[in-house]
Amino acid sequence: MSKNIYNDICEKSRFEAFFKRHAKDLHNFLHYRYGDRLNPQDKAQEAFIKLWKNCKKVSPEKAKSFLYTVANNLMLNEVSHQKVVLKHQKQKPTRHSNESPEFLMEEDEYRQKLERAIANLTEAERVAFLMNRTEGKRFKEIAELLGISTKAVEKRIYGALKKLRKEIDEL
Amino acid sequence: MNKEYLIKKWLDKDLTPQEFEDFKMLKEYKALIKLSNYSKGFKAPEYNTDEALQNTMRAIAAKKTSSKNWLQPLLKIAAILAICLGGYYYTTTLDSSFNTSLAEKTSIELPDNSTVNLNALSTITFNKNNWDQNRSLSLNGEAFFNVKKGSNFSVLTDTVTINVIGTQFNIKQRQDYFEVVCYEGEVQINYNTGKTNLKAGDSFLIIKGEKVERLATNKAQPDWLNNVSSFISVPLSEVLFEFERQFNVKIEVNNIKTSQLFTGKFTHNDITIALKSITEPLQLQYKKVNQTIILVRE
Repeated sequence: MSKNIYNDICEKSRFEAFFKRHAKDLHNFLHYRYGDRLNPQDKAQEAFIKLWKNCKKVSPEKAKSFLYTVANNLMLNEVSHQKVVLKHQKQKPTRHSNESPEFLMEEDEYRQKLERAIANLTEAERVAFLMNRTEGKRFKEIAELLGISTKAVEKRIYGALKKLRKEIDEL
Repeated sequence: MNKEYLIKKWLDKDLTPQEFEDFKMLKEYKALIKLSNYSKGFKAPEYNTDEALQNTMRAIAAKKTSSKNWLQPLLKIAAILAICLGGYYYTTTLDSSFNTSLAEKTSIELPDNSTVNLNALSTITFNKNNWDQNRSLSLNGEAFFNVKKGSNFSVLTDTVTINVIGTQFNIKQRQDYFEVVCYEGEVQINYNTGKTNLKAGDSFLIIKGEKVERLATNKAQPDWLNNVSSFISVPLSEVLFEFERQFNVKIEVNNIKTSQLFTGKFTHNDITIALKSITEPLQLQYKKVNQTIILVRE
């Protein structure tokens, strides 16, 4: 991590650079953790606005954790302990038009099972697992993002995988 | 090779080609790949960073202008508060004033329970706010003071300052006429540059700038508190002024020397009896027309 020579990010260009570096990850983190019902896009924006308002008080080293904490709190204010439901995105145009109806049905069933199983994961497991599987992020990147150790990330992801397998294949 | 080790390495995209071959040999291989492929369907919706940045910067700019919008009502509230506080400060530091009009008497209690009786057409002014530190009031007219013991108490008139500590005394300050009578305790009068101390019963009288000596009185309070004005060797003009004040009438005199001295009293309750008590000893006659009384020689 490069040492920051500035004391704050009140400068507009610096703030914008910071935004570009972190906005997407923050948004995805919120999405995997809380689902899209609580509008992660808005929460991410609100968190950045809060950061801008408090830019004098928040040092650049603390800015990222400030951002995640604020966004998380914004979410928690709204969460009424409802189940997080992540919608499986409707399949892109089917590559194999000659798929049999049985296959399509089976596929649909599998998707629903997975949806339920992912909803049943803990928040921490879900975030780590989906970041790894959907974003293709490596353990180290995720660890940096969440501010935890690589070992902890590995544990979360592997734990999630085991749970999913158990629930889907009823092993 | 350990199965768990291979799966973890696969998850972390860290398999060597050799290890990958081993991984493929696992019996879970197919299920894992399927699970992994389907999981990709839960990818977060595409996030357009540039667009989000633009929106955010716009929202920040909007917040700034809207912050001006709530500044205005805040200023209004501040202005109202300032007016209220100013008004409160003004009224609390404002001097209190009591006055009587013609033919009226009143009694006033001061903040320290001292009492002031005001005779007709008189005014006192004082400041309630720091009364305990500064017992000072100004008087225009005639008043009887019953002062509670305590710190210095002073009465200011146009020409004279009277200092007391705890006593009862009467001050009559009219045109060309100034009189202080002490009924209890002691008062100090600062007149021009000279100081005079009055003991109980003593009077201090100045008529037209001339000091007049008086015998001591043994009364407990001035007669006017009992609705009687009494005079001992006072010019008739001053008696008539007092009469006008007590009954709210005009008096006209024809051919009468008003500088002659008068000794006697009149009541404030009945104008006819009062007129008789002035005119009979001086052998005068009176005519009453509306609010005007004309005095003539017999």
